[in-house]
Amino acid sequence: MLYVELFLQGLIQGSIYALVAVGLTLVYGLLRILHIAHAGLFTLGGYIGVLVTDATGSLALALLVAAVTVGLLGMALYRVCYEPILNKPPFVALIASIGLFIAMEEIYRIVFGPYGLSYQAPPLQDSVVLWGMHLTQAELAVMGGGVVVIAVLALLAEKTRAGTAWKATVTDPQMAQSFGIDTVRVRYLNFFIGSALAACAGVMVALMNNLVEPTMGSVPSYKALAIIVLGGLGDVRGTLIAALALGVIEAFGTIYLGDLMDRDAIAFAFLIVVLMIRPQGLLGRKA
Amino acid sequence: MLDAYHISLLTVMGISVTFALSLNLITGFCGQISLGHAAFLGIGAYGAALLSKAGLPVPLGLAAGALLAGAIGAVVGLTSLRVRHDFLAITTMGVGFLFLGIVRQQDALGGEMGVSGFPGTGLDKEGFMVLVLAVAAATAAFSLYLKKSWLGFAFDAVAEDEDTARLLGVDVARFKLAAFAMGCAIAGLAGGLYAHNVRFIDPDSFGFVESITVLSMVVIGGIGSVWGVIVAAAGLSVLPLWIQFIEDYKLLIYGGLLFAVMRFSPGGLAGAVAAVARRGRTEP
Amino acid sequence: MTALLEARDVTVRFGGVTAIDGVSFAMEPGELLGLIGPNGAGKTTMMRAITGVVTPDQGTVVLAGRDLKGLGTAARIRRGLGLSQQLVRPFRDMTVLDNVALAAGHAKTAGPWGALARVDRSAERDRARDLLDRVGIADVADAWPGNLPLGFLKRLEVARALALDPQLLLLDEPLAGLNQIEAGQLADTIVDLNRQGLSIVLIEHNLGEVLRICTRIVVLDNGRRIGMGEPRAVMADPVVRAAYLGEGGGHAAA
Repeated sequence: MLYVELFLQGLIQGSIYALVAVGLTLVYGLLRILHIAHAGLFTLGGYIGVLVTDATGSLALALLVAAVTVGLLGMALYRVCYEPILNKPPFVALIASIGLFIAMEEIYRIVFGPYGLSYQAPPLQDSVVLWGMHLTQAELAVMGGGVVVIAVLALLAEKTRAGTAWKATVTDPQMAQSFGIDTVRVRYLNFFIGSALAACAGVMVALMNNLVEPTMGSVPSYKALAIIVLGGLGDVRGTLIAALALGVIEAFGTIYLGDLMDRDAIAFAFLIVVLMIRPQGLLGRKA
Repeated sequence: MLDAYHISLLTVMGISVTFALSLNLITGFCGQISLGHAAFLGIGAYGAALLSKAGLPVPLGLAAGALLAGAIGAVVGLTSLRVRHDFLAITTMGVGFLFLGIVRQQDALGGEMGVSGFPGTGLDKEGFMVLVLAVAAATAAFSLYLKKSWLGFAFDAVAEDEDTARLLGVDVARFKLAAFAMGCAIAGLAGGLYAHNVRFIDPDSFGFVESITVLSMVVIGGIGSVWGVIVAAAGLSVLPLWIQFIEDYKLLIYGGLLFAVMRFSPGGLAGAVAAVARRGRTEP
Repeated sequence: MTALLEARDVTVRFGGVTAIDGVSFAMEPGELLGLIGPNGAGKTTMMRAITGVVTPDQGTVVLAGRDLKGLGTAARIRRGLGLSQQLVRPFRDMTVLDNVALAAGHAKTAGPWGALARVDRSAERDRARDLLDRVGIADVADAWPGNLPLGFLKRLEVARALALDPQLLLLDEPLAGLNQIEAGQLADTIVDLNRQGLSIVLIEHNLGEVLRICTRIVVLDNGRRIGMGEPRAVMADPVVRAAYLGEGGGHAAA
């Protein structure tokens, strides 16, 4: 029973990681930027979710508002912050992004206060029994929603024109442009989708914990970086698998390695071991 | 004579300058990014504190902490031989979290509570300040010398293009490991001094924010520029102490500065000064 | 006399593709050996197997009687190889002079601790100036490589390789991208270096210049050696002619 419980907990956590990480990997695949500020958008999604749900009573509306607002903000972030420094050495964008993320967390703290917000009447808290386990509807929604959304995204990338345009832009921007693909639009769309997904993840995590804090994005942010590296940078399917795997490994690790190191350290120990054996990531192909 | 306030200010400054210069050696000179450098400050601090608690004389404790940090740094440097650039950034960030996660769970290392009550240096505040400033000055002198030496010359090549450096006979792996070993050992020394200055250490003093803070000192000063890094480290370390209201907004300012410098002057202070000097020369 | 460089049955595969397939050749000290072949023949892969950038799946490379197996690139450079790369890669943050001086200081950069103990660069800079003079670009010694045209950078690559005091100089398409006059001049410089006693392997697409200056050639096609010997005789071989003409014939204009 313990195994099943740990496994399910791992999958729930892994689904959250996946929702955050997929946006990061989309950005990395396209622009080779480690977009750490992405997690700041995730936190903002959580705040919007709580505020809109409390004001209107509708979780669906909250998800929609969070996704659209944060998606647009993601596009603005690209335009204002990243586009001007794309041709600088890679650490420039990385450090700029870290700076942006720290500043965002501080702004949330100053605007919304340091102690965080909770839902007045959190929806989806009813208990569901699955394989003898008591889960809340919110937890199930996270798990199901995360996997479905990312699977659909992976499918879209394979089967649709927009997906083809995206992949072409990733592989060779100049070639894509010469085939008439508007690569700038692809980038904006990329930021919109990735940021909107992060916002949805923020709403759902806020629901699961019934709390949004300014620093809510920190841990997912660093973990998501580990995940996109494990998944083979820029690979949506690999990111999904790596996220779920990391969630499960953490769940088991805290039981069996808990005396030696904490949860975060387990995740990064796993990352380091994998990278030393396979520098291209868990599923990445050799460059 | 200096009052107690300014003595503590200068002490904090000296430790920050030493710490920032140690990262500059790795990231600035040798071009290897590290997002987990605070771990080595921590290793030095824990080494010095626990060893002096165990009865070792303070100077030996400081030296042992530095050596331990250098040795572990060389091991972490091994990862830079396997992965580069973005992957290295994430890996070193992971090393930082690994350090915190291990220290937190070990009662022998003080766990969440940290370590306190270890014997002091025996120096008064002023004497300790002189020691710290002497270490900072020695680190600065060493950095300036290194930059002029053939090691600095080869580091320039490794930082710019590893593959070509190899074709000119530079054994890139050994040079990278040397950079990590030296930089981490100096960080460890700074950590030992930090422990003896604050007289209390806990895992949170060596977290990701500290790693980013020291990186911001190097970046804002100008990656690779010894003088730029000294100015930035000295300024950023005491800014919050000088202007009390900043403490509450310290992180916002760090974050904003990091972003603004990268966005508008990726060469940092040193880059901006050089650009102004160039403009001055070309204008009549 | 033992061979200076010997490739014995070298095979390199990338995934399912065999880039070079059982190639053997040897060169004597003092030779100017041309290694030629149509696009995709395996020339650059052969070069990389010699410098240790790729590891052969089979066969060995021997330099002056010593098997190079297991040695990294830097170690091979220290055993007497000098390479000028096809795509120029100068250090853009150093002057032209310092690019060469760093190579000339290879004894001082053998290890980090030895390098830390040494500061003086004047001897290496003097030597670098001589070498820049030898390849004909002494007047840009203090310029930054980013501002120089390709012809200069190609010569800088050669000067850097010479500064390593190599027993054997490997030149990977030094003439590529140069106009006819520049190519001819650099080819003359290469002949001069060879006359002064330096052994050179020249990998080149410019067949005209290769036939003009090389003492012997090795021809690769589809990863196999299809010819070896005195240039005119080899080019008269129908198999070699077919390989070149089959690729479009343009190269055989020599």
